[in-house]
Amino acid sequence: MTEKILEVKDLVVEFKTDRGKITAVNGVNFEVFKGKTLGIVGESGSGKSVTALSIMRLIPSPPGNVAGGTISYRGKNVLDIPLDQMRTIRGNEIAMIFQEPMTSLNPVFTVGNQIEEVLELHQPELDRDQRKEKAIEMLRLVGIPSPENRVGEYPHQLSGGMRQRVMIAMSLACEPDILIADEPTTALDVTIQAQILELMNKLQREMGMGIVMITHDLGVVAETCDDVAVMYCGQIVEQSDVKTLFNNPKHPYTKGLIDSIPSFDSTTGGAKGRLPTIEGMVPSLFDLPEGCNFQNRCKSVTEKCRGPHGEPKLTEINPGEFVRCFHPLS
Amino acid sequence: MKNEAQKSKSLWYHAWESLVSDKMAVTCLIIVLAYFLLAILSSLGLVASDYAKEIGPSYAPPSSEYLFGLDIFGRSVLAKTIKGTEVAMSVGLVTGIISMIIGVFLGAVAGYFGGKIDEVIVWFYTTFNSIPYIMLLVAITFILGKGILAVYLALGLTSWVGLCRLIRGEFIRHKDREYVQAAAAIGGGDFRKIFKHILPNVLHIVIINFSLQFQVAIKSEVILSYLGLGVQGRPSWGTMINDAKLELARGNWWQLAAATAAMMVVVLAFNILGDALRDALDPKLKGK
Amino acid sequence: MNIYSYIIRRLLYVIPVLLGVCLIIFILFNVLSPDPTLIMLGKHASKTQMMELRAELKLDRPWFIQYIDIVRSTFTFDFGRSWSTKQEISEMIKNGAIPSLTVTLPAFLVSFVLSISISLFVSFYRGKIIDRSIVFVCVALMSISSLAYILYGQMFFAFQLGWFEISGYESGFPDFIPYVLLPILIWVVLSVGPDVRFYRTIILDEVYQDYVRTARAKGLAESTIMFKHVLKNAMVSIITYVVIRIPFLILGSLLIESFFSIPGLGGIILNAINSSDFPVLKAMTVLSALAYIIFSVITDVLYTIVDPRVRLK
Repeated sequence: MTEKILEVKDLVVEFKTDRGKITAVNGVNFEVFKGKTLGIVGESGSGKSVTALSIMRLIPSPPGNVAGGTISYRGKNVLDIPLDQMRTIRGNEIAMIFQEPMTSLNPVFTVGNQIEEVLELHQPELDRDQRKEKAIEMLRLVGIPSPENRVGEYPHQLSGGMRQRVMIAMSLACEPDILIADEPTTALDVTIQAQILELMNKLQREMGMGIVMITHDLGVVAETCDDVAVMYCGQIVEQSDVKTLFNNPKHPYTKGLIDSIPSFDSTTGGAKGRLPTIEGMVPSLFDLPEGCNFQNRCKSVTEKCRGPHGEPKLTEINPGEFVRCFHPLS
Repeated sequence: MKNEAQKSKSLWYHAWESLVSDKMAVTCLIIVLAYFLLAILSSLGLVASDYAKEIGPSYAPPSSEYLFGLDIFGRSVLAKTIKGTEVAMSVGLVTGIISMIIGVFLGAVAGYFGGKIDEVIVWFYTTFNSIPYIMLLVAITFILGKGILAVYLALGLTSWVGLCRLIRGEFIRHKDREYVQAAAAIGGGDFRKIFKHILPNVLHIVIINFSLQFQVAIKSEVILSYLGLGVQGRPSWGTMINDAKLELARGNWWQLAAATAAMMVVVLAFNILGDALRDALDPKLKGK
Repeated sequence: MNIYSYIIRRLLYVIPVLLGVCLIIFILFNVLSPDPTLIMLGKHASKTQMMELRAELKLDRPWFIQYIDIVRSTFTFDFGRSWSTKQEISEMIKNGAIPSLTVTLPAFLVSFVLSISISLFVSFYRGKIIDRSIVFVCVALMSISSLAYILYGQMFFAFQLGWFEISGYESGFPDFIPYVLLPILIWVVLSVGPDVRFYRTIILDEVYQDYVRTARAKGLAESTIMFKHVLKNAMVSIITYVVIRIPFLILGSLLIESFFSIPGLGGIILNAINSSDFPVLKAMTVLSALAYIIFSVITDVLYTIVDPRVRLK
């Protein structure tokens, strides 16, 4: 077992809205290990991004606030430490990249400038020239051609994929222990997606950081993750290592997600008939049903799921394999 | 297309919901409606019909008998203030409508047709906008003579450029959208596309701009009065404030105070209402 | 396309706009306006008197020539003489510009610094009580007639408290200072409301951008994010808003100058309005339009320099 660097326990995040309070994240538990990648999968609104942001303490407050739980990074609870100390962790020990490389970089500063800014903040021992050198080195590391020239360019002069590489360079400049990647490839073309994921895998092997990969795309999970947590309506509904999850999903929702991945039949060369989808809609967080949150879309729903027994608990049905379902698939 | 229509319908519904849930906005809406009511009642002669009558001594200060005091001719300041509502609300309304018609028409045509037509309209409003507002006002009132009609036209004809620009920009954005192309595919003419399909989608801008224009016009009427180009022969807040410049030094503050306060309340209400409308109708600005 | 050809192209566009301005002035003052000789001579003037005056004022010439005259004056700055004071108009403008600027320039700078500071402050506390109250005060300030500010200000601070000169002007530094203090103060109060609201909107537009979240994720302090990242982005919009207002500073404020008897351009315009002095009004219109057009070119060019995203098409 490798070193555990992050442990999230019973995390609850609430948001105040015009229509009342919602619980965006409701009792989430997971662990991140050095050199490993944890995937958090879910549809939009499942609470996966909120979970990621709360690790960084970046939940906009108000309206959001962390109402319960702990997030332990190397033994200390990041929810308790003062904000100015948190800033020494952000970007330095825990770094984050975002979905939109187009808008996540500041348009009026050069990319070099933005990488140097992180170094200036967290590695004050470097002087100006060293920072510039390091910025170029980071750009080279993430595979940007002729980084000496690129370092002086503005974000709009780069393509989307290049910008995401810059984001990665920026986030890894201080060699963080943990990289949180919030849908890093969603906004990119498919071919660029694969390149970026490969780059992240490669950098992980070289630098050994733990990655939290937030995505709605099981393809991304398959390509990068060691462990997976599937989220639905603010809760984890299934959690296991990636192989088990794909080969033997236990939760009907996970099964539905896997079945709706388009795939080709190698024998006929065509698509395999009609693509199954998950019927119905995600229930509103304002109006969650009694019992299981997935009941309205579940194929194996029974009376038990509809309320009298409360909601299902996340239970360990095999070692390291957790599922939140009254009728787990076998 | 249907989708778009549904979206816009639910947009209005949500906007209305969010507007009525905002207590401040509702208060302001009630204030604005009350001013309109007062203006209508006074134009029908049901209130403040004795505004021109001498009812007491010249410059009687406010008292229980003369609530807001009397002016130089012993006329009730309260009645004049109420009568002034009529001018203010009609100036706001007519000016807003004139500038709305010109702005929407030119903006829609320029944005929709593009090309040479667009170039000419852009040239026209760039040119128009280069001339200081006050000079245009003055020139138009020279031409039309003094009076409320001149005030309407002067303020209306000089205030459409901002809206025209916005509408043009929106039309350029919208004309290539799928729903407009869909309308073209089923054989909608240009006119139909402009008014039936695109306009409803930019209507929120028109409404927000109208509420802004309304209060700017009320404020501008005061300036015109000061320049001697304002409303003649009946009381307006502008003429009241303007009269006060001679009264204030003698300690007669009530006419100025009454007109200023009456104007401030309605302009403030319009300002807040305009902001609430913008928040409710322009989702991309939401939460700011 | 480089910046120079952009500037040249932008400057070329000035010509049609300027010709258009002249056309509008011509239509408004020479074609549509009532016969100025009637105003000048009164109702009982004889036909010959009117004809003579028309000839003297060059109003009997064909419209085309009259239009060309306006265009010519735009490029030569020779606007002829005032109808009422008989002074050379270019001379009047030269003399009026300085007093106007002694009020407007300091007022402009003070209100700019003040408004930016207040709007950064309220953006920092966005959504909190302090933000809401300041925004409300701004809106309330904007809702009061500018005439009321001048009347009350002059009455209360100058007349009753005697803190400032009631009105008047002396030219030359530093003699003018006591006369311009209250006008400056009133100008600042008048502009702080709309300016803070505008800057706040611009800044908040930026505060919710993704790059701000990135900056936070880097570990930057809120104040660094505000003053470095947000302000530099907001500056792009702020510059365009500010630069385009500079030409109006030369024009001065009609109301303020007339109430405080400051012999600036605002006062000249006001006199011209009262005496139907068309040449002066036309000259002022042409000049301010020219200034506006030039400054809008400057704004556009600055914009392309400040914002690296703007690609010249």
